[in-house]
Amino acid sequence: MGEPFWRRYQRFFHADVARDVDQELRYHLDRLTEDEMTRAGNPREARARAEARFGDVAAIRDSLAKTGSRRIRKALRADLRDAVLQDARYALRRLRQEPGFAVTVLLVLGLGIGAATAMFSAVDAALLRPIPFERPDRLLELPQVGIPFQPEAGERESGPRVPDLLDIRDMPDVFEQVAGYAAGGLNLSDPDHPVRVNAGIVTAEFFATLGVRPAWGRGFVTEEGVPGAPRVAVLSDGLWRRQFGSGPVLGHSITLNNRQYTVIGIMPPGFSFPSESDLWIPMTVPTTFETFEPFRGWLPSQVIARVRDGVSVEAAAARSLARWEQVASTPGQTAPPWLSQQTAEFRRTGAAIPLQRDLAGSRRTALLVLLGATGLLLLIACANVTHLLLSRASTRAREMAMRTVLGATRGRLLRQLLTESVMLGVGAAALGLAVAPLALRLTNALMPPALAGLAPPRVDLRVLGFAVGIAVITSLVFGLWPAFTSARTDAAETIKSGGRGATAGGAGRARRLLVAGELALTLVLLVGAGLMLRSFERLVRTDSGLHPERVATLELSFALSAGGRAARLPVIDAALQRLAGAPGVEAAGAVNDLPLRGGPGVLSITFQPEGRAQSANEEPLFARYLICSGSYFRALGIPLLQGRTFTTADDSLAPHVAIVNATMARTLWPEGSPLGRVLRLPPHRPGGEPTPYRVVGVVGDVRETGIERDAGLQMYFPMYAETPANVALVARGTLPPAALLGLLREAVRSANPTQPVYNVRMMEDVVSASIAPRRINTMLISAFGALALILAALGVYGVVAYSVSQRMRELGIRAALGATGDRLVRLIAGEMLWVAILAVALGLAGAWASARVLRSLLYGVTVRDPGTYAVALLVLLVTLAAGTLWPARRALRLNPMDVIRAD
Amino acid sequence: MGRCAVDHPPVDLLRGTLDLLILKALTGGPEHGYGVARWIERATKGALQIEEGSLYPALHRLEDRGQIAADWGVSDNNRRARFYQLTPEGRRRLKRETVNWTRFARAVFAALEATPRMLQAEA
Repeated sequence: MGEPFWRRYQRFFHADVARDVDQELRYHLDRLTEDEMTRAGNPREARARAEARFGDVAAIRDSLAKTGSRRIRKALRADLRDAVLQDARYALRRLRQEPGFAVTVLLVLGLGIGAATAMFSAVDAALLRPIPFERPDRLLELPQVGIPFQPEAGERESGPRVPDLLDIRDMPDVFEQVAGYAAGGLNLSDPDHPVRVNAGIVTAEFFATLGVRPAWGRGFVTEEGVPGAPRVAVLSDGLWRRQFGSGPVLGHSITLNNRQYTVIGIMPPGFSFPSESDLWIPMTVPTTFETFEPFRGWLPSQVIARVRDGVSVEAAAARSLARWEQVASTPGQTAPPWLSQQTAEFRRTGAAIPLQRDLAGSRRTALLVLLGATGLLLLIACANVTHLLLSRASTRAREMAMRTVLGATRGRLLRQLLTESVMLGVGAAALGLAVAPLALRLTNALMPPALAGLAPPRVDLRVLGFAVGIAVITSLVFGLWPAFTSARTDAAETIKSGGRGATAGGAGRARRLLVAGELALTLVLLVGAGLMLRSFERLVRTDSGLHPERVATLELSFALSAGGRAARLPVIDAALQRLAGAPGVEAAGAVNDLPLRGGPGVLSITFQPEGRAQSANEEPLFARYLICSGSYFRALGIPLLQGRTFTTADDSLAPHVAIVNATMARTLWPEGSPLGRVLRLPPHRPGGEPTPYRVVGVVGDVRETGIERDAGLQMYFPMYAETPANVALVARGTLPPAALLGLLREAVRSANPTQPVYNVRMMEDVVSASIAPRRINTMLISAFGALALILAALGVYGVVAYSVSQRMRELGIRAALGATGDRLVRLIAGEMLWVAILAVALGLAGAWASARVLRSLLYGVTVRDPGTYAVALLVLLVTLAAGTLWPARRALRLNPMDVIRAD
Repeated sequence: MGRCAVDHPPVDLLRGTLDLLILKALTGGPEHGYGVARWIERATKGALQIEEGSLYPALHRLEDRGQIAADWGVSDNNRRARFYQLTPEGRRRLKRETVNWTRFARAVFAALEATPRMLQAEA
């Protein structure tokens, strides 16, 4: 502060600290030498004596030079900070003087950054952020690798052999650890209220393979992973707190599906893999009949492996493929078509997938498409802000000229203007971060189900960094051009021309180019949104085959040890009886797998229609194996097309009967009635004869695995003859939802008070949940498209309005010379003609090229759907026309004399 | 009394002393390093033997703390030299330290004057 400012700068720019120090010390030494001259005989001796009095010259010089340069760096930094603060204060003052401008920019950019940030946090959670396992990049998922099964007495393996867990475990040079797991459900007994819990059925090596350890107690040991071992369980932190009040449970026993398990460990908070598991029990290798209890007739198991250190993930994948080929081509085994197809598929896509990628699954595309869409939206927002800044630059030309005249350098003005941009950008990022958590709630529905609970999307430091990063980048993107334009302003010209600036001519063309780009991006988004909207419309119009209105459902699962059919049927029968007699209930039924419930669903099994010889290399026929009560069809609104439904008389002693769906009837028996035909199913007992079932009815197709998937072949069997372990009850009624749901619960409770129920919900919610990801997806991309359209319209308006204001004088003269208003409007609009042509050409090309990535997200429309393209184009052109004509009309109201006089 | 010595261990004491002498030397007006060394020599009647080079780290440190300000100027023999002068902050420090130093010196002095017997009597 004390020294004049120029001296500070002189020091910065001639900051030769060492030379300064040298000079200072030399002066002192010289003076000392002069003093010594009076005592010493010659100059050399005098110098030596002076140096002795002074001390170690070199050391002092070095230390001074070092601290000196450090000091200068510090001073420089402080100076820079002061300058930035000064710029920031000035920018803030300027922006406060133009609140309209500032608020518009903040809103436009804030929305853009908010959308991008929210999508980034979803993508980050699902695809980027490592899943919380030890070195997750070393974990591979091995698709189609099964767990060996211990056959029951007399049973023998059927079908070709494919690699199983043991084959992979047999590759210790490639894989360090191998584990299998499956997500199922079990009933946890509790004197007060029995509950259904998510159970991870995992091999003993599971925790070690993932590299996670229990917080309390221990994980499974190898001896607990074989059939017949003592039953043990590991609890999740969540279940331990919720169900056991964080009390002591280690060594205690809990009852799962009527079997006692000893609690040996509790996992740390946050670990709930797979599928939000509440607890884990060992999966024995080989698996036994008991292993299948938490599932629906089949084991949806996955095999994962940790790649050994020193082996690359690619090499491990190649070795897995080699293993698959080797086992699949076991001598003496004729590969059925599906096996050769699978092998060919693996050769293309690899026989091992990084676990994280596998868990993200098919949601990957949707998330990336949405992130891309927000990127486009952000670019459009940037273009708009650039327009605003450019317009402002032309009105600020006079201010800039004044400051140039007063001595501000171009660099100084540039820095000032960029500071304004960056401040706007940072402000917008703050706004965006405030908006992002709201959008995050929407994106939750888009998260891959396999990652649920494992990697929740959240606004953390990474996301914050992303938001600030894009804020700075975008502010430079939108700020640089206007800043250069302003700073380049020729001061003398500007002041002479009354402040209108000399920048008008070239900037107009560049701005029209910018708006063309903006419109092209908008067209890309519009086509994408249009395709998604049409898909969604097709989807909701698709007949799912059932009528979910006014239907309540719940699910329950019976423990195998509680007894077989004989124990289950009375419970279901009592519940159904009670419901049937209740006022306000029109129909109530039961089924083994509720349509659209999500999850792996029930097994499809092979069958053989009688009277149809199967050729040797024909694929066996599979159909969904559904078991229901006769009233089920009416309760869910599934139409009976031919024959009859089941009755309580269709029990285990009655002749075997079955109902087939329309597709199955049509496929198997294109001519003649399906009624009375016979299907042969695999024997109930190993080594027995196939069981014949007579078709007694035909019902409508139900798209039970997803509305977008064809129903396929479906067979129904009477619940009174064979009663499944997993049952969904459905009741259609005139009661309000809460009352209907309460009635369902009560019906089960009165039949068996210790039976837990779960997934108690209205059927409409089930249907709605099944299409929720697609709905959110469509909603978001449409919202992005709409926002882009609004921004583009504003951009067009701004450019045309600017052009009109710049050409006022010319238009005035033309009007004075007799040009009609029509002609003037055409003159203005003509400028936008090539903008339209360019935008449509670029936009169509962009949409055409990028629509391919949407293919897997579409339903019922092709990526080249001409209707969608036409509508998108029309919407864009109407917007463009409106944005052009609105400001152009100003030319009509022009009074020539006013304009000319204004100069 | 004893607290003073605890608060200022010997090394700091020495450095503080040099600072104090420099500040005092500059009360007469702007001076270069050589001039400061001469003033100290004269004022202490040559009793303090310091390496004159060690003045410079102290000078630069004081400048860094804003207690003195430096600028290039022309010396009495017409050569370019770096002149230092007191800032208001430096003036304040000099005043404060002079008081402290005097109290400290008196305390040590008093202790050296005292006889061992006086201590035993108090105990």
